Amino acid sequence: MLTNTYQNPYLPTPMHVLRAYYESTDRTLKTLELSFDNPQDRLAFFRKFNPGQFCQLSVFGKGESPLGVASAAWEGDFVRFTVQKMGAVTKALHRLQPGDPIGMRGPLGNGFPLSKWKGKNLVIIGGGCAFSTLYALTKHVQHPQNRPDFGQIIVIYGARSSGLCMYKHDIQSWYQREDMEVHQAIDVPEEDWMHHVGYVPDVVKEVAPSPVNAVAVVCGPPIMTKFTLPALVQLGFPPDAIFTSLEKRMKCGLGKCGRCNLGSKYICKDGPVFSLAELNALPADI
Amino acid sequence: MTELETKIRAEAERLLSEHLVDVVVAFRKEDAPLHPQPAFFTQVDELQDLVYNGLCANNLANYLTRHPQETRIGMVVRGCENRSVNALVVEKQHTRENLVLIGIPCEGILDWRHIVALTGENVLSVEENGESVCVHTRENTFAFSRVELLHPSCQRCLHPNPISADVLLGELKPEGDPELMRLRIEALENLTLEERNAWFRHEAERCIRCYACREACPMCYCTECFVDHTEPRWSESGVTPAGMQAWHIVRAFHQTGRCTSCGACERACPMDIQMTYLTDKLNLDMIDAYQFEVGMDTTTQPPFATLTLDDKNRFITRGK
Amino acid sequence: MAYRLPKKGLDQTLRAWAEQSKVFAPQKREGYAQFLPWKAGVELLLDEPHNTRFPPKAFLLPQSETLLTYNRKLNQLETPTLQISPRIIFGIRPCDAHAVALLDTVFATQENPDPYWRARREQTILIGVGCNQPATTCFCTSVGSSPFDHAGLDAIFTDIGEAYLVETFTERGEALFAGLPQAEANDEGQARSIQQQAEAGLTPAFATDNLKDHLDQIFDSSLWNEFAQSCLGCGICTFLCPTCFCFDIVDEAQRDERVRNWDTCMFRIYSLEASGHNPRPSRAERTRQRLMHKFSYWIEHANQFGCTGCGRCVRYCPVGLDIRAMLRKAAATPSEVVHAN
Ligand SMILES: Cc1cc2nc3c(=O)[nH]c(=O)nc-3n(C[C@H](O)[C@H](O)[C@H](O)COP(=O)(O)OP(=O)(O)OC[C@H]3O[C@@H](n4cnc5c(N)ncnc54)[C@H](O)[C@@H]3O)c2cc1C
Ligand code: SF4
Ligand code: SF4
Ligand code: SF4
Ligand code: SF4
Ligand code: SF4
Ligand code: FES
Repeated sequence: MLTNTYQNPYLPTPMHVLRAYYESTDRTLKTLELSFDNPQDRLAFFRKFNPGQFCQLSVFGKGESPLGVASAAWEGDFVRFTVQKMGAVTKALHRLQPGDPIGMRGPLGNGFPLSKWKGKNLVIIGGGCAFSTLYALTKHVQHPQNRPDFGQIIVIYGARSSGLCMYKHDIQSWYQREDMEVHQAIDVPEEDWMHHVGYVPDVVKEVAPSPVNAVAVVCGPPIMTKFTLPALVQLGFPPDAIFTSLEKRMKCGLGKCGRCNLGSKYICKDGPVFSLAELNALPADI
Repeated sequence: MTELETKIRAEAERLLSEHLVDVVVAFRKEDAPLHPQPAFFTQVDELQDLVYNGLCANNLANYLTRHPQETRIGMVVRGCENRSVNALVVEKQHTRENLVLIGIPCEGILDWRHIVALTGENVLSVEENGESVCVHTRENTFAFSRVELLHPSCQRCLHPNPISADVLLGELKPEGDPELMRLRIEALENLTLEERNAWFRHEAERCIRCYACREACPMCYCTECFVDHTEPRWSESGVTPAGMQAWHIVRAFHQTGRCTSCGACERACPMDIQMTYLTDKLNLDMIDAYQFEVGMDTTTQPPFATLTLDDKNRFITRGK
Repeated sequence: MAYRLPKKGLDQTLRAWAEQSKVFAPQKREGYAQFLPWKAGVELLLDEPHNTRFPPKAFLLPQSETLLTYNRKLNQLETPTLQISPRIIFGIRPCDAHAVALLDTVFATQENPDPYWRARREQTILIGVGCNQPATTCFCTSVGSSPFDHAGLDAIFTDIGEAYLVETFTERGEALFAGLPQAEANDEGQARSIQQQAEAGLTPAFATDNLKDHLDQIFDSSLWNEFAQSCLGCGICTFLCPTCFCFDIVDEAQRDERVRNWDTCMFRIYSLEASGHNPRPSRAERTRQRLMHKFSYWIEHANQFGCTGCGRCVRYCPVGLDIRAMLRKAAATPSEVVHAN
């Protein structure tokens, strides 16, 4: 047997669906919370886990899909993902019910460089379902044990419509917190919407977070990222204080299958989180 | 430079300098021995690189679908390429008015693999003198007659002359013998079921699924090939017998009434797999059942692309 | 250590190996050279001036292999039992063995080593035969290898006429030749001069000074479009390449298996994302990726080119795109356009 000699990094960890619920009214976004079948797998996962990392979720017969972890370790013995229905695997993921078995490989990738961010103000900017890992980040820093490590926290989160806003109830409660500032935005006006209306890059310009002793983290659809990064540069954030998480098609998640390279970097292994300074040194191949 | 090359260059120069076309698709002199490259000339001064010889192995009609319909293309075409172009026009892949076909009656394409098999890997150059061909290798010089070196598809070629070229360069060649293709297929058909199965498996299962055959074929222009579909998946993806056999059978079927027997697929294949026996068989069936030969004009739809109430198979009306 | 093996004795040596291991050696089938199981009496293709058509990387990274099997009862994926018996690949060319050494840097890594690669690599002994007369399409010396390169090999043969000079580099290579007479100074001298001659026969195929930096600088050049115009976007140049390692992972549900298959950056769907976005939408970006990976990114990963000059892509590209000519053109392309976002 192979396993006797080496760990098999292609073998998913057996998990079960703990909770599964729709995140958006149009049912394109579904959140899955997964629990570990084996305690040692759970320990191994949380020893390595860091917000910003992702896992390969596996539905046998359909394949694997890389998905960002949307929970913080302190939330419990589960791992949360929010899945947008796209193709074969994500459709199969949407069909899963509590109690169903599922495979997971991870955590994969580097995650956010939290230790480097100690003592800094955090400007967290997200759009669409890519907000999932920023949700994990926000949950992480909100924990009383972690909160003192960071200064001011500003969250700017945009979705196309209110129906597509994720983690609604929880984010609603953030407005009551005194240790952070929240800005939500939707693209076009809706009745009863009390927050910003407009595209994320414009909201960023409007909120105009201070670059002093701050880092900005941007995760969103390519078009949002494309316009938010220059907006931050304009606000005075230096390229090494702006971070983003990249996506490319992935298979192995280990830097072996070659698929996700951006120049000499593999997004799955060397990323998915990169600073703008790092990206500026890489070719535009994304 | 051969006389024919001079004529092709002159014609290409005329088309470009009089702005009659945006690009001339032809061949340019090789970087790697034995392999002249398909080339796309847009400037007159590039034409000094244009070559034409027996080693020009690709079917240039393959590049038609890479250009938008509005692009005015001048294309060097031999018999099979002309028919491929016609077939593509029938399938509305380009506008005939935007094409200028520079027709060349074809002497047949030399099979570079056969040359390598006979002379070794270190071929430096190949010299053609009418019916004789001289191959210079690093170590030696070999003399052959052209027929010896012809690619099998060209040995069986029916229509070496471009049938609807706008300009014809060179002398017309005699038509091919239709029996040659039939004999080959009949020889296979006369085998026992087991023997045929063994033949098929032997060819299909050497496949490495590089899809060069598909990419080299003018008629394989689908944006997404059936083998690349994920929802649903039509075949296994790997080099398993099931996957490779499915690939060979379904690709051949998709060529029914569309393939011109040009052999470009076989010439591209890195594993020397013969696959035209499948398409040729389907072509014969089209002739026998529907008296249809692809690419003979620019209007007739292939039988399998048409629906008529008097279809040979009465499945359309029988259900009632 | 260096030994002398008379050519007459080769058969006996292979016979002895075949008792302990599977032995594969180049033979002609379907009209071209292939690595096939050695059996007494088969005719070997050792003098052919070039390589097998299909690259021997497949011994270590099969084109299709079962990664996991699906246990329906437990509803879980499992690691299959991988039984790999000891194998000797005899007659592998130095460029192909060098490629194996390159692939070790991808698969036999400290972190997350690939267990399938390692299991096979450990059971596989590579005995090379150097190239007295490299083919006209070979260019190993241009990319840091040579006709008698040792990288990746357990031992190498040099044809010195009546006999082979056998040089061993590893313990397991050494063990295969125990009992042979040691080479005499004369044999070694003869081998050295043959080796030098072979190397001298290869002229630089393109300039490699600054090649990486230059390629990085012409990332946005229109040169890639020029190559892409004729490129078919097939799998030949990468599937046949001994250093290409890209793979896909797919489930074959009807067989209850998760499989990995070779894949290639030259395919459109390789980088196509579920949203429809494709970061490499045309053959231009794909051709660029192939060349950049081999001649720029590899340098950053392993400080070596990801090409060993085997010449396969040159010989089998159906539209005659010769990587040497492509690199010469790249070198001649001015680097005024510097990529930056
Ligand atoms: C690091 C990372 C984190 C991600 N996080 C999330 C997330 O939190 N929520 C979410 O909804 N989506 C996320 N995605 C995108 C998600 O992985 C794709 O939408 C999903 O893989 C599509 O797979 P499919 O089988 O449904 O689609 P198909 O089109 O059927 O794809 C087939 C295969 O292609 C690959 N693939 C296709 N598109 C992508 C893509 N954009 N990225 C990676 N692989 C792809 C997968 O391997 C998949 O198995 C993330 C992607 C990456 C790279
Ligand atoms: S299938 Fe082959 S022979 Fe037929 S048209 Fe296509 S390339 Fe030519
Ligand atoms: S070109 Fe040959 S090896 Fe490649 S897919 Fe076609 S038949 Fe298979
Ligand atoms: S073998 Fe030639 S045609 Fe095929 S992808 Fe490579 S360069 Fe393009
Ligand atoms: S790039 Fe071409 S020459 Fe270089 S190792 Fe690969 S196949 Fe051989
Ligand atoms: S050249 Fe392309 S196929 Fe080959 S290893 Fe690099 S990315 Fe993969
Ligand atoms: S997903 Fe395989 S290298 Fe990144």
